Amino acid sequence: MLILDELKKNDPQLRLVAGMLAAGLFILLAGLWWVQVVSAREYQGHLETQSYRTVRLPAMRGKILDREGRVLAENRPSYNLSLYLDDLRKQFKMASDAEYARATNARARFIAAQEKQLGRPLTKAEEKRFAFTTGQMEQLRGQARYRVASALVSQVGQELGQPLTLDPAKFARDYETRLAMPYTVIPDASPEQVARFEEQITGSPGADVDLQPVRSYPLGTTAAHLLGYLQRDDDSQAGEDPDFNYRLPDYRGVTGIEWGFDSWLRGRAGGESMLVNNLGYYQTNDVWSAPEPGHNVVLTIDLDLQRAAEESLLSHQGPDARAAIVVMDVQTGDVLAMVSAPEINPDYLANDPKFLSDPKLRPEMNRATQQNYAPGSIFKPIVGLAALEAGLNPDALVDNPGYVYVGRRHIADLAPPGQYNFRSAIIESCNTYFITVGLRAGIENVVRMAGKFHLGERTGLPTRQETTGIFPALKQVQSPDWRDGDSANICIGQGEMAVTPIQMAVAYAAIANGGTIFWPRLVERIEPQDPASGGTTTNFPSGLVRGNIGVSGRSLKILRDAMLAETVEGTGQPAQVPGLQICGKTGTAQVMNERNQEVDRTTWFASFAPYEHPRYAVVVMVESGTFGGPTCAPIAHDIYAEILKKENAPAPAALAEAN
Amino acid sequence: MTSPALNERRKLDRLQLVALAGLMCLGVAFVYSATVASQAASTLPWYDQSWVRQMVWYALGLGAGAALCLVDYHTLARWSLVAYGATLFFLVIVLIPHIGSMRFGARRWIDLGFFQFQPSEFAKLAFILAMANFLSRPAEELRQPAVFWKGIGLMLLPFGLILKEPDMGSALVLVPTGLVMMFVAGTPKSFLLRSMGVAGILGALLLADVLFAPPALQIKMLEYQRQRLLVYFGADFAARNATLEQKADARRLQADRSYQVQQALISVGSGGLWGAGWCQGKQTSLQFMPQGAAHNDFIFSVIAEEEGFVGSVVVLTLYAVVLFTGLRIAGQARDRLGKLVAVGVVTLLFSHVFINIGMNIRIVPVTGIPLPLLSYGGSSVLCSLIALGLMQNVHIHRRGY
Repeated sequence: MLILDELKKNDPQLRLVAGMLAAGLFILLAGLWWVQVVSAREYQGHLETQSYRTVRLPAMRGKILDREGRVLAENRPSYNLSLYLDDLRKQFKMASDAEYARATNARARFIAAQEKQLGRPLTKAEEKRFAFTTGQMEQLRGQARYRVASALVSQVGQELGQPLTLDPAKFARDYETRLAMPYTVIPDASPEQVARFEEQITGSPGADVDLQPVRSYPLGTTAAHLLGYLQRDDDSQAGEDPDFNYRLPDYRGVTGIEWGFDSWLRGRAGGESMLVNNLGYYQTNDVWSAPEPGHNVVLTIDLDLQRAAEESLLSHQGPDARAAIVVMDVQTGDVLAMVSAPEINPDYLANDPKFLSDPKLRPEMNRATQQNYAPGSIFKPIVGLAALEAGLNPDALVDNPGYVYVGRRHIADLAPPGQYNFRSAIIESCNTYFITVGLRAGIENVVRMAGKFHLGERTGLPTRQETTGIFPALKQVQSPDWRDGDSANICIGQGEMAVTPIQMAVAYAAIANGGTIFWPRLVERIEPQDPASGGTTTNFPSGLVRGNIGVSGRSLKILRDAMLAETVEGTGQPAQVPGLQICGKTGTAQVMNERNQEVDRTTWFASFAPYEHPRYAVVVMVESGTFGGPTCAPIAHDIYAEILKKENAPAPAALAEAN
Repeated sequence: MTSPALNERRKLDRLQLVALAGLMCLGVAFVYSATVASQAASTLPWYDQSWVRQMVWYALGLGAGAALCLVDYHTLARWSLVAYGATLFFLVIVLIPHIGSMRFGARRWIDLGFFQFQPSEFAKLAFILAMANFLSRPAEELRQPAVFWKGIGLMLLPFGLILKEPDMGSALVLVPTGLVMMFVAGTPKSFLLRSMGVAGILGALLLADVLFAPPALQIKMLEYQRQRLLVYFGADFAARNATLEQKADARRLQADRSYQVQQALISVGSGGLWGAGWCQGKQTSLQFMPQGAAHNDFIFSVIAEEEGFVGSVVVLTLYAVVLFTGLRIAGQARDRLGKLVAVGVVTLLFSHVFINIGMNIRIVPVTGIPLPLLSYGGSSVLCSLIALGLMQNVHIHRRGY
């Protein structure tokens, strides 16, 4: 071989030269081996890092629907009018060159003026002082770019008939950090703006419309607390790539169903890679992982009942009412409506911050689940059940002089003085009767009964915003600190206890359905957005039983009959709906200050219907009302009217199927 | 051109010519690839594009080399001193402000309109001839120190002038060429070792000064030359006691200067085993490899990215063939003059190859040395082909009359 021949020659010097040559070439070979074969992957990585940018593509968020598939939350397209900077590259260059020429001319003139002044040409060192540093060059280029972009932006503004300016600092920052992405000039443009833009501007380089999905709540504030709201969150979720160069806007739920089912609704983000050149300008792109759209969440809510409840509340109590309404299906535990007033706008940023921070209105709180209220008289049926189970004779009479003494405490009674049995005590809501029979049955029995109703415990909703309520434990009422006065208060639903409207709905549903305490169900199922995509549907089982109050059928019947009479003859009359037998109980709880003076009232109406085969429970609570009857019962009336309408109307789905 | 009677003696070294042809083809192909992104799409007419011009230079160079082969190299050697003097003259006048054109802070070219005449390239050839002529005296004379110093002087004159341009790379290749020629001629090893030792110490001092000395003691050197050394050693650009802001500035500058080397490394490394494919290299198309460098000093990185390790080995093999056939020619030369000329040309070419490729893979600091026959550039191509013509000349005339 040629090389070996040379190395074997007789001539020692040539041999040495050949050896050095061979050694040198070998060093190069080894170096190339190291760089191109051993480290190839590392350099390939560098190549990709500098020439590829990855973009996180959020998935389409799932919708939230009511039980009949009507949309409560969905996505709509928002059109951003944007600049595409890589289209403007040529203009940037021309403008830079022009700027540079201008600057050099200015400098030349300045130098000439200096020379004239000094009367001699400047030395090299002196001239150097006027040389442009790299910093100044970069500044020149930045100014040129800004000028070009700003001219385009004001042209857009002119066409749209509104003055538009480009923020120089933001533009410069965006150029440094997000060059390959479109630069938004008008976010979420109105259809009119988009139309005008498409007419006048599209086609000229550098400006175009960029589409992003945005959450929309077509029903405004309906079921707002239940739905919750979103906050901007571009971070990668568990199971996704943690590193992206750019992230398109993404959101996460903060409260409500949007929070509780956020990972279902969100789906999985995808990614695409963009090829950029050495300056960072976009060249081409390639989606390597398509986003997986989120699932739809179907609630148990019935939109008709929800809307009826909200409208009724508004018309009876006005927009500043602080109230809550819960409608439940007593046979399954499904929540058919949940209202909390005042409502907020689920488009969170559209809310007036002063409104949100109002200390009295506290609109962000879900009053149906998150706030403790004294139940007042609507707790009496539970006391009654405890007494009946302890052996009370419902026909036995208790004398009510208009007040009762417990120890030395005087408790007034709003029921007219007279003799009361169980039924009339419910009808007129007689404090004396219930305190008497309650104390006779023993506070421990009352506490145990309340325990069977799971008062003082959460009902287990999948959204945030639930409080346990307050109820004394057995140990507490057995302790020597517990007085009869405290027990008396408990018997009339005041004192050391508090409940939430959803707890009361669950309790009254139990009374209605024969004693079953359900876990309330809010979400019926989770299904894929596109049925053809082959994703799985997750059904949440209905009618999950939590417990049973273990009360005899006889006691329940006695109570139900009394409650029916209450709406027919008693304080609950405003709730009456012709054609429907409603069992109800009004409540007016006092809110006391430290000096035991009444400062406010919580009014209630808790009910279920129809009497023969109960199906619905309706609980209405209004803060600062007058009395349960005139304040809350009329709202329940409207809801029951809607229920009756629905029951009587032929089911449209059934009709369609029949056809 | 060849008389039939002398045909068999005047056979060209075919193997070397084949390797040459291979290198020329690669040269055209990859100058094309390196410039296609910027030129093909632009409005340059085809005859103005780089790859076409490269072919023109190849043709001219082949012509010049062939012309030289007509004359016995002894005749050429007689004119070596004249040529040497002429190139020295051009090296001096290129330094004069209005004659030599200034580009990127260096005055290396005389602008003749259609041709950028670079005296340093021709000076290297003239030097080889002159040195070979000088050293082909009887071996005993070479043992005299005076002769030795004259030889060193012969080397240092063009070395100094080229260094003044400044063109450190071209100046640097003169040193190994001269030393190897002296070694092969028979200069006593002790002289050579001692002078290499001295050069080594000087070099180390220079490096230490550049890397570690405070600004007051730093030897006057052009800023970019200092920066290239700093980049190679990965040293901090800022002085030890610089303020935070100065340090930040310096870091930015360092990133800028290291950029070219880093991009070259990425080009070479990302080629992998087989490369990205001809004209598929991302570094040039996305302009990560600066336009000005891709088709001349860093042409190797383009080849490496597009043809991978396989391509690099092919290039190395072609050069190896050229160099070792050159050594074979040196061995078969009929006298010391021929041997020295061949060895000189081989060493010169090898130095170019080693420094340029070494620059691309960061085993040598960046110097502006072209890759013979592959880099774009008229002077470089012409001189490489003339040099090869000289070698063929020695080969053709290896038998006496």
